[in-house]
Amino acid sequence: MVRIIAVFLIAFLNFSDTDTDTDGKVIARQGKVSFFSHTSVEDIKAENNQVLSVIDLKKKEIAVSMLMNAFIFEKALMREHFNESYIESDIYPKAVFEGEIIDFDPVAKGEQTRMVKGLFTMHGVSKELEIKIRIVNDVSGYVVSGTFETLVKDYNINIPPLLAGNIAKSISIDFRFEYEPYED
Amino acid sequence: MLAFLLLTTVRCAFSQDLLDILESEQQDTTRFIPATFKMTRIAVGHSTEVRGKGILELFVANRFWNTPAERSQSFVADRLSSRIALEYGISDKLTFGVGATTFDGLFDAHLKYRMLQHSGAKGLPFTITLFQNMSYNSSPIVNQAIADGFSDRAAFTSQLLLSKKISKDFSLQVSPTYSNKSLALAEEDPKNFFAVGLGARYKVGGHLSLVSEYYHTLNPIKSFDTFDTFAIGANWELGDIMLQFMLTNAVNMVEDAFIAQTRNNFNFRNPNLNFGFNATYVFHLRNRLKKQK
Repeated sequence: MVRIIAVFLIAFLNFSDTDTDTDGKVIARQGKVSFFSHTSVEDIKAENNQVLSVIDLKKKEIAVSMLMNAFIFEKALMREHFNESYIESDIYPKAVFEGEIIDFDPVAKGEQTRMVKGLFTMHGVSKELEIKIRIVNDVSGYVVSGTFETLVKDYNINIPPLLAGNIAKSISIDFRFEYEPYED
Repeated sequence: MLAFLLLTTVRCAFSQDLLDILESEQQDTTRFIPATFKMTRIAVGHSTEVRGKGILELFVANRFWNTPAERSQSFVADRLSSRIALEYGISDKLTFGVGATTFDGLFDAHLKYRMLQHSGAKGLPFTITLFQNMSYNSSPIVNQAIADGFSDRAAFTSQLLLSKKISKDFSLQVSPTYSNKSLALAEEDPKNFFAVGLGARYKVGGHLSLVSEYYHTLNPIKSFDTFDTFAIGANWELGDIMLQFMLTNAVNMVEDAFIAQTRNNFNFRNPNLNFGFNATYVFHLRNRLKKQK
């Protein structure tokens, strides 16, 4: 009897695997992350369209990884300053996030708003973050998007006093990831 | 039941850490190394850096020095020379610039092309930039014996600039230089000059670096003594404004002039010591983010 149940269970697991695919992983290879800093002196905007993200649907875990030098700025010189003098991308080339989507239901179709709790590492500093995200699950797959604010001073980024007026204390970050099934 | 347990354990063993997956997915794009020198000049000479497409630079260079006179009533310094130039990025690799200098009356134009760029671990280990300029000496020449037609007053300099960012803080440049300068004070003076430049930058902070540059002329002119150009200074970046402060023995600011006719050696006496101050203001005439959409 036990054996039969086991066989059924395996069959069911495999069946659900092939059908709804809520057991595997999904990946976004061209995720968008942009940040915006507003001060009365100037606005700084940058975009990165090559952000990687993966979700483990079973464990409800999400990871994001981006190359800092892939951020494109409105002004070309800002990108050089950003990489060389602020984010120091030759020492800290990446920013990564690893976290858990709380109460995530991978099967549910349509939209759901969930909290993500995890560790964000940038410029060698790791910080616990709690971000509200919007997950849309439709025919084309999962789409995760959201916005959050973060403080520059939390990441040990050195801003010379003369330029303190040009860079906002709090930076707003937008992200959007479109996922597709991930094959191991 | 056993089979089920086995299956789950196998699954668990195979499940990778998510960040490891992303690590393996990361495109191995050739990453160009940013900011070998940041500024288009190390101190007196050009660096391998070029500004991107649609960037206009207003470049103002000044040299201040004193005459050997013991007493002087000049304000700040006895002599001042300024060179004002505009440099524009035609493409991400090619820059065109024009400038004029007050003291020696040189009008100059240059093209600078970054041929190959220093890139990550697997890429090229250095940057190669080609530099070509032309200058016209507009200053009055009293000596009737000197031919001073347009072609005599023109000078041309070609440079092959090679640079390497050795570490995050330290960059080095070698600049073999050839210069053709027709205007000569004496028959015996060469018209073709060969020189080698050495330049280095050491970053002391996020926005501040120390720089030094040395140009050795292999065949200096014979009619009077000339010396190799030396400069030591500090470069300071302030967003769109970049400042350079230096001490040098070169009064002239255009390549052919400081290579062939630096009359004083570097020391701290007047009029040998020049204080140099360069200011670059960068105008971005093109929004990089708009292009993508």
